[in-house]
Amino acid sequence: MGPIFRLSLRQLARGRRLLVILALAILPIVIAAIVSASVGNDDWRDAGSVNNLWANLADAMLVAAILPIVAIALATAAFVEELEDRTLGYLVLKPLSRWRIVLPKLLAVITIAGPLLVVSGAAATLVILDGSLQAAVAIGIAVFGGVAAYAAIFIWAGLVSSRALAFGLIYVFLWEGLLSTFLGGVRYFSVRAYSLAILHGIDGNHFEALSGRVIEFPAGIAGVVAVTVVFFLLAVRRLQRMDVP
Amino acid sequence: MTMASDMHPPTSQKDMTGPVIEARGASKWFGSVVAVNDVSFQVYPGITGLLGPNGAGKTTLLHMIAGLTQPSEGEVSLLGKSPRDHFLVYRRVGIMSEHESIYGFYTGREFVEFSARLHGLNPLTPAVDRAIEMSGLTDSQDRPIHTYSRGMRQRIRLAATLVHDPEVLLLDEPLNGTDPRQRIEFQDLMRRFAGEGRTILISSHILEEIEVLAERILLMVGAKLAAAGDFRAIRSKLNERPYRVRLVCDNPRSMASALIRTDAVDSTTIETDGSLIILSHQVDAVQRHIPRLAQEQGIRLLRMEPLDESLESVFSYIVER
Repeated sequence: MGPIFRLSLRQLARGRRLLVILALAILPIVIAAIVSASVGNDDWRDAGSVNNLWANLADAMLVAAILPIVAIALATAAFVEELEDRTLGYLVLKPLSRWRIVLPKLLAVITIAGPLLVVSGAAATLVILDGSLQAAVAIGIAVFGGVAAYAAIFIWAGLVSSRALAFGLIYVFLWEGLLSTFLGGVRYFSVRAYSLAILHGIDGNHFEALSGRVIEFPAGIAGVVAVTVVFFLLAVRRLQRMDVP
Repeated sequence: MTMASDMHPPTSQKDMTGPVIEARGASKWFGSVVAVNDVSFQVYPGITGLLGPNGAGKTTLLHMIAGLTQPSEGEVSLLGKSPRDHFLVYRRVGIMSEHESIYGFYTGREFVEFSARLHGLNPLTPAVDRAIEMSGLTDSQDRPIHTYSRGMRQRIRLAATLVHDPEVLLLDEPLNGTDPRQRIEFQDLMRRFAGEGRTILISSHILEEIEVLAERILLMVGAKLAAAGDFRAIRSKLNERPYRVRLVCDNPRSMASALIRTDAVDSTTIETDGSLIILSHQVDAVQRHIPRLAQEQGIRLLRMEPLDESLESVFSYIVER
């Protein structure tokens, strides 16, 4: 499993993709710094408006946009490039069960996207919420859970379709962005909602503004675990059954 | 020429083991396109050539044998098992696809080591050293693959295919991009492997590549197994094929009558555009006679071209026979 993990890291963490991901990861910290500088007024802070502002920004910017985009960019590339380059044969024509190919790919995506986005979210939170460790930990865990779930979904999507990137962006915009915002029932099938539930569950004080649109904390945890495991298994099954070019 | 079901190995080999590779009514279609149509054969130790023109279904057939593609119908087995369901069979099999893409950021050695690790080899170094030495890339092993020539890439891919010392080799167009010296080295290596009792299935669309290597061939034409068996028997059919040449000159009638007086030409026809079509079983003689006769008769030669020399037509000829 180690060789495929290391190979995947080298394949994924290079070129323009890495630059775009780094730029996206830095964005929350930059915005947090700008917001923090521009609303330095104590009265404003006392009113709790910064908490509300950051809760909404963290949702709209980090959880609903940057997190899925980074995950899509990395996870769809995990197999799509192997399929397009026709190098997947170097992996599947080896005495390895298919899960030992999919798991290192999944771990590589999580290894690249996870720390980047966790550090990004936590640092931005520390900047804007005056060093609140609890809020930073909450956003770190929430983002990490989202990375794992999205990574599994889009690794599977990359094995199912050569247009996984486009499919992913449409899915994120329609399902995670629009439908999960306006339809309460959809939130139980939304990675964004799982991340927000974890965020709010760990630190309900700083992220009080999310309380009207989050599902239960245990449902968020269970959702992340279930989506990650189910789509990992679907990817393994797909790799077992598909024709490899 | 023998058909698929008649293709037998030497008796001693057959008595000792079952077929190493077997297809039973295997077909593969992609939508409405039939890539492989109802193919049955058995392959035993030694070198077998999988021959056929481009698009005949060779690669799809190899993919089915390798387990990359599931047959739409029928069965294919490798060492008695379906590799799609028994991945451990790859411990005994080395597969080199026709696709030349490779991880360019690896050095040659890293690529071979990568393959060795996935095969679970331990210790790693002797196997990697041996495979790189066999490929003749010892001096270039630490260079990034993206700096390799096409022939070097083929050789490092071959090294990665051989690193676990497989007893069965499936090689799809392995000589693409190699120079004459590398071809001779490759042929020597394959003959040595065959002598050690390994089973080697090599695909190619070039008759001459297979001719010097394989004792037996599987001939694919138009998605079907057109013939299978001893290569020499099939090659003798090729030699029976008349050679057709189109000749354009300023006096086709004189050239036709001069040519027909030689023993080398079977018949001549003058086309409506004035070109002369020559049919012969003696290619070399015709090639010698034409310039000599043109000089003697004062005929000006404008163009001479072989007809029906594409592989497709050659293979079609064999199938029609």
